[in-house]
Amino acid sequence: MEEATTKGAPREVTVNLIDCDVHPYLKHPDELREYMREPWRSRTIPSRRQIFLPPGDGRRLDALPEDGSPAGSDPKLVEKQVLQGIGADYVILIPSSSISIIPDPVFAAEVAQAWNDWQIDTWLGKYNWHGRFKSSIVIAPQNPERAVREIERLAGHPHLVQILVGSSAQAAYGKRQYHPIWEAAARHNLPAALHVESPIGPTPPTPLGYPTYFLEFHTLYPTIYMTHLVSLIAEGVFEKYPDFKFVFVEGGSAWLAPIMWRMDKDWRGARAEAPWLKRRPSEYLRDHIRFSTQPIEEPENPRHLLQIFEMMEAEHVLMFASDYPHWDFDDPKRAFPRMPEELKRRIFCENARELYNLPATRRADSLDSIHATDESQQIIGASH
Amino acid sequence: MGKYVVGKVSELPPSSRRIVRVNGREIGVFNVKGKYYALRNVCPHQSAPLCLGELTGLAVSDEPGEIEWTREGEILRCPWHGWEFDISNGSTIFQSKARVKTYEVQVEKAALARMIEGVETYPVTVEDEVVILEY
Repeated sequence: MEEATTKGAPREVTVNLIDCDVHPYLKHPDELREYMREPWRSRTIPSRRQIFLPPGDGRRLDALPEDGSPAGSDPKLVEKQVLQGIGADYVILIPSSSISIIPDPVFAAEVAQAWNDWQIDTWLGKYNWHGRFKSSIVIAPQNPERAVREIERLAGHPHLVQILVGSSAQAAYGKRQYHPIWEAAARHNLPAALHVESPIGPTPPTPLGYPTYFLEFHTLYPTIYMTHLVSLIAEGVFEKYPDFKFVFVEGGSAWLAPIMWRMDKDWRGARAEAPWLKRRPSEYLRDHIRFSTQPIEEPENPRHLLQIFEMMEAEHVLMFASDYPHWDFDDPKRAFPRMPEELKRRIFCENARELYNLPATRRADSLDSIHATDESQQIIGASH
Repeated sequence: MGKYVVGKVSELPPSSRRIVRVNGREIGVFNVKGKYYALRNVCPHQSAPLCLGELTGLAVSDEPGEIEWTREGEILRCPWHGWEFDISNGSTIFQSKARVKTYEVQVEKAALARMIEGVETYPVTVEDEVVILEY
């Protein structure tokens, strides 16, 4: 953060880093009930089930609040470790709602609404004194009609900047059943973000069902992402809704260029069955689709990643994400190879700033002047 | 090379650890089954506070499907991305050039420890043994 002005209040700082994937957690599962009505309020809400076991039980161990509450549930710690720790000027929150695992579409819509009312009250309300938390409208794609109503209800909220769907879905997101949702989102200038979800859901996590190990499950996220990506383009979603934008979060990106080469090549011969595609498939990608960086691929030779960035036109499509507080968190200063300044600025800030209409400067707040660590202490941690 | 008094032996019982700042560097000192180890508190991967990680064992295998659990407590696992390090020499368990710096740890009588520069302020009695970090 640099100072944009030297004297006079309020001081403005340049926006340099936008983190597109931070997860706000409930302090307790029952917190959600307060925002629900009967008969759903008294029911057990289906929750994310960890059948594949990630390192650290899925979270950064140093992100656990001292009071024993879940990682990502304490806004003060998020301020310390994300706003101050990595210097994020804005974060885009992605609630881990696991909505897609709820088979009952009405119950799913009720739970989605509760997540939204909860986050408006907390992370976007009383926790958001600095205005640097932005978030995503949780919708239940298995209930398109209610999803549209939820978008209509919340569009225009100053801190809700996109809608959110899970990677596990009843069908690929280009299918017509979802079009009313994308129409509503586009009409309100809200991108749709897709985030990886629980392995338990309407479809298994890979095209060949359930793998054996977490290692496979996590490596293979791109298989579902590819399917949604190709579907969205092939079904003409971006011809039908020219203002619609889609964001793929946490599914990797190094696979992007080869799959688009393949689709472009196939389109030359197979175009006639989808004549609404007026341009090469990869051109829709550049204009309508963005990818978050985390977990960034780490080839042995870091130059290879830069070559991949060039092939995928990272300066237009990539947006930084840390995935705080999860175990595979990426630190913006350490996770990337050395990049040209302009490319770095596009990935760390400008692509997200343009997509979410965020300002180029923001008002400085007290978090800008407080240091995150106390250097005077000698013994800084002990445990038995 | 300098010496730093980490604490009394009684303050670092088996299965405990202490992270200290010496010359501006954070170092984790561990007591694993009565043996002391010390490592930089910085993971060579993405600079996570490594010494906050879990001490675990080493899963080894001679053939797929067979797992043997060895070296309980001697593997330090990064609190972020789960990389495993051999606490005795700071190398990663998978083959790599990444390595965490390790330090020698000694136990000495307090009387001797007090003669070392900079430790006078540490409250020890003559009977105490202290844990000394060589850096």
